[in-house]
Amino acid sequence: MIRLEKVRTDPVETLKRHAEAFGEAVKQAIKPDRITVEYPRERRRYPECFRGFIVFDKDKCISCFRCAQICPANAIQMEYFDNAYPGIDYSKCIFCHFCVDSCPTGALNTSKVHDVAFKTMEEMKLSAKNITKIPDIVREEILTVDYYVDKNVWKLVKKKELDKLEVEPKPVVVKARKAACAEPENCLGCRLCVNVCPQKAIAVERCEITIEEEVTGTGCILRVDTEKCTGCGLCVRQCPMQILTLEEVGE
Amino acid sequence: MKEYAIDVPVEPPKELRSLFIPIPPEYVEDVYKSDDFLILVGPQHPGSGHMRLIVRVRGDIIQEVIPDPGYVHRSMEKLAENRLYIQNIPLVERPAIMDAANFNLGYIRAIEEALDIEVPERAKYIRTMLAELCRVGTHLYDAAILAVFLGHTTGFMWPFGLRELICEALVRVTGARFTSSFIIPGGVRRDVDESTLKWIYDMTLAMEKRLKSFERIFIKNPTVIARLKDVGVLSKEEAIKYGVVGPFLRASGVEYDVRKVEPYEVYDELAWDIPVSDEGDSYHRFLVRVNEIGQSLSIVRQCIKQMPEGRVISDQIAENGSDIRGAFYDSLSDIVLPAGEYTTLTEGARGTIIYSIISDGESNVPYRVRIVSPGWLYLRGFMESMKGERLADLQAIYGSFGYFPPEADR
Amino acid sequence: MFDVVQILNYLFEIFSSNMMDIPLIAPIVDFLMQIPLLNILVALILWKPFFAVVIMPGLGVLMLYLLYIVWYERKLTARVQWRVGPLEVARPIRGAIQTLADGIRYFFQEAIVHREAHRPYFVQLPLLAFIPVLLPILFIPAGSAVGIYTPYSIQLIVTFLALIPITIVAIGWAANSRFAYIGSVREAFIYFAYEVPFIIAVISMIFLYSSGDAYVAVEKQSMIPGALLNPIAFIVYIIAMLMATSRLPFDIPEADQEIAFGPFVEYSGILFGLVMVLAYEKLYIMTLLFTILFLGGWSGIYCPLLGDLNGPLWLFIKTVVVISILVIVRSIYARYRLDQALRIGWTSMLALSIMALIVGGVVGVWLS
Repeated sequence: MIRLEKVRTDPVETLKRHAEAFGEAVKQAIKPDRITVEYPRERRRYPECFRGFIVFDKDKCISCFRCAQICPANAIQMEYFDNAYPGIDYSKCIFCHFCVDSCPTGALNTSKVHDVAFKTMEEMKLSAKNITKIPDIVREEILTVDYYVDKNVWKLVKKKELDKLEVEPKPVVVKARKAACAEPENCLGCRLCVNVCPQKAIAVERCEITIEEEVTGTGCILRVDTEKCTGCGLCVRQCPMQILTLEEVGE
Repeated sequence: MKEYAIDVPVEPPKELRSLFIPIPPEYVEDVYKSDDFLILVGPQHPGSGHMRLIVRVRGDIIQEVIPDPGYVHRSMEKLAENRLYIQNIPLVERPAIMDAANFNLGYIRAIEEALDIEVPERAKYIRTMLAELCRVGTHLYDAAILAVFLGHTTGFMWPFGLRELICEALVRVTGARFTSSFIIPGGVRRDVDESTLKWIYDMTLAMEKRLKSFERIFIKNPTVIARLKDVGVLSKEEAIKYGVVGPFLRASGVEYDVRKVEPYEVYDELAWDIPVSDEGDSYHRFLVRVNEIGQSLSIVRQCIKQMPEGRVISDQIAENGSDIRGAFYDSLSDIVLPAGEYTTLTEGARGTIIYSIISDGESNVPYRVRIVSPGWLYLRGFMESMKGERLADLQAIYGSFGYFPPEADR
Repeated sequence: MFDVVQILNYLFEIFSSNMMDIPLIAPIVDFLMQIPLLNILVALILWKPFFAVVIMPGLGVLMLYLLYIVWYERKLTARVQWRVGPLEVARPIRGAIQTLADGIRYFFQEAIVHREAHRPYFVQLPLLAFIPVLLPILFIPAGSAVGIYTPYSIQLIVTFLALIPITIVAIGWAANSRFAYIGSVREAFIYFAYEVPFIIAVISMIFLYSSGDAYVAVEKQSMIPGALLNPIAFIVYIIAMLMATSRLPFDIPEADQEIAFGPFVEYSGILFGLVMVLAYEKLYIMTLLFTILFLGGWSGIYCPLLGDLNGPLWLFIKTVVVISILVIVRSIYARYRLDQALRIGWTSMLALSIMALIVGGVVGVWLS
């Protein structure tokens, strides 16, 4: 524990402090430790993990709705063209990037763009088609600024180069998974999973039940086409009996 | 000095009845019939933040201050009841965005306590480092606000310049300048690489160098000492009686710090001290926090030196131990806490943060989240300390408490 | 017609008998003097009293100084505070014409007179405030150039300076707003706190030179500057100057964070521009007196090419240098509370000024 002492205010000490304050100000006036980044003309270099404008890769998307469901601000709305893709409302987005971390295929990726201006509120609602690449921003800067620190210096290092605003998509380390039915005998045959599947990979086949047989279930057989299944898990979240699971396949 | 009452018939202005003022009309009339004045400071006043202070003054001396908070109340606790546990993380950071990591940490620790999640060692060190960085940032922010209340513009600009280093450190670790949402149940979202840790280590040294310049021009400035010394004194007994928390309690001579009393994360493995002062005046409330900055920077350095290798996400949460990317939704979206109440104490920059989560054991949203922020806890002591001071001291005492209305109102 | 020519000739003789002799521009002046009618104008401009009051160190350079000092103060403060300061107006010269741009903006901005204000006074007072600011210029000598010569010039300057706070209090009264009211009350308090030590410090210097004549004062400083002859009065004068011009740490009447620019809170447009520069003009006048009393006035290295211009030029340069050093206090200090400032004024500064009076008397006897 550090016990702070009573501050002394005798005239000698006061004069010394006046002199120290004045000396510091004069020192700064002669050689300032200036740290201003003249922003439109210079740009800070942000790290690769910077949470900025979200870029969407349509080819990787499996329409799993995870981004839309995790978004704490309800900023992501899925839109349907040939499949369901996320559109981001930047008037709501808080840049927590839970969606980017939720995406199991890496279809959503970050970028270093943080300075996009919109004219109206409606324009801020970006469709999935408009976020496939970083937006066109006017880049006035000629210098890129880094903060350099050493043991006792902190200064700006200015380099005459343009920082790349796109971030290389990092591969996602997640095992591939496919939907499977864990307890086929409990299937209701409601076909919610069939309707929800974006890949049309699930089919329910009705079998003939003869009177002689002992009835063990509803008699529905659920087939998952593992070739088509992307492992999005929509059917798992939809199933009222919670009998569908995602099973890991391969490495 | 003898006072002479002048018997002038004065009617309270009509506006005092039409405006919403949370005091009875009889009080207003009583003030007007005595020799006092009622001054409304705020909510738009540049020196008060988003709150109103109803100040009763006799001449230049403050007799009583009645707070009127709630201008930035956002019903955070009710909002939290309608969201998934994981979606509440950005929400609970919002009360004090400079102090995001501490607010985040308290909430996450309550969830981990409920689910019995063992946090990996490396993650604990990263969390401690983030919490201390945010503490430094908040103290610098408060120092800047104190300086601008005193009219010291250099003292306003320098801490904000210094805070840029904290923001840069946070952006390199988490990707956001503040409100990092980086701490998740079971660890942190991403591992931190060696070069970033090295940069932060050097940053703390560079910052200490510049803090020395700041000390010369602002902390030890004679005009600052004259304005703050022996102003707004809270004695040890008063501070305990009014429930003051955090550095303001320690400035009154009480050696209480949650990090020492109930250590969480890795605070018990590091060597650090709590600065305590017996004075209890505005200057020592500020000085205690200045000393805490030094301690926090030392903690950050120790964290970086002692940080072990290994996973940063618990294996109970995700298989990939170094990055939550891709598995965030599947591992965290459907957590359901067992029925019960889980409470944690966290030492935020401005004092003790209390989180209490009540779960019904079935739903994936909390039944009730109670957040008690330090601003709300020391509001009473803040009001009491202004009694008997001059009206011009109101700004100085306000700054010395670093009162932050969004934090208190939640 | 005859009369006009006679009067003009008469005036020309008056002007040309007492003209500034500047060898540098002598050929041009000689050429212009041969042109009828224009010669009377040139003679008027170079007529010493006119030159001292209107050109240098009077109104003309006062305007230049205002343009410079507002920009310089912002720039210096920004430098100390790790910022850049005004930059975007004329970027190649680092925003040096920022004050001009602000002035033009103020000029064309709407000047709002609010309902509660006492309208005639509210509009008039910013202009009236210039009278006590500009009157001292008549009596400030600069070398051989002087508006009105009097052996009591120092006393007269102090008298007119003492009038300025009255106009500020009147401005606060006319604005009829609570912040303006508090501001003018604070101004009145501060006024008494600094005025007494200030006047005593000046009197000590008058003792020292045993004359209220600026010429005698400058002459007696030919060996040792006044600052060394009476360092206590020097310190008291500097502190009183900071208090009088509402500079930090005595920024109490205009405290931005407490009463939002105090007496001037309600002004806008060109009226605000006028009241804003009031403190800077007061600072200029006080520093002119300061230079004369403590820094040897207009004496300096004589440049034969400039002739009579040497005096005014040296006075102006010294004044601007002193002000440029003084404005750094804005970035060093916080604001004192009113009672603390009054305590400083009535105790330590008063005691120091009385000590200065004694020192002034003793050194005065030694000098004479």
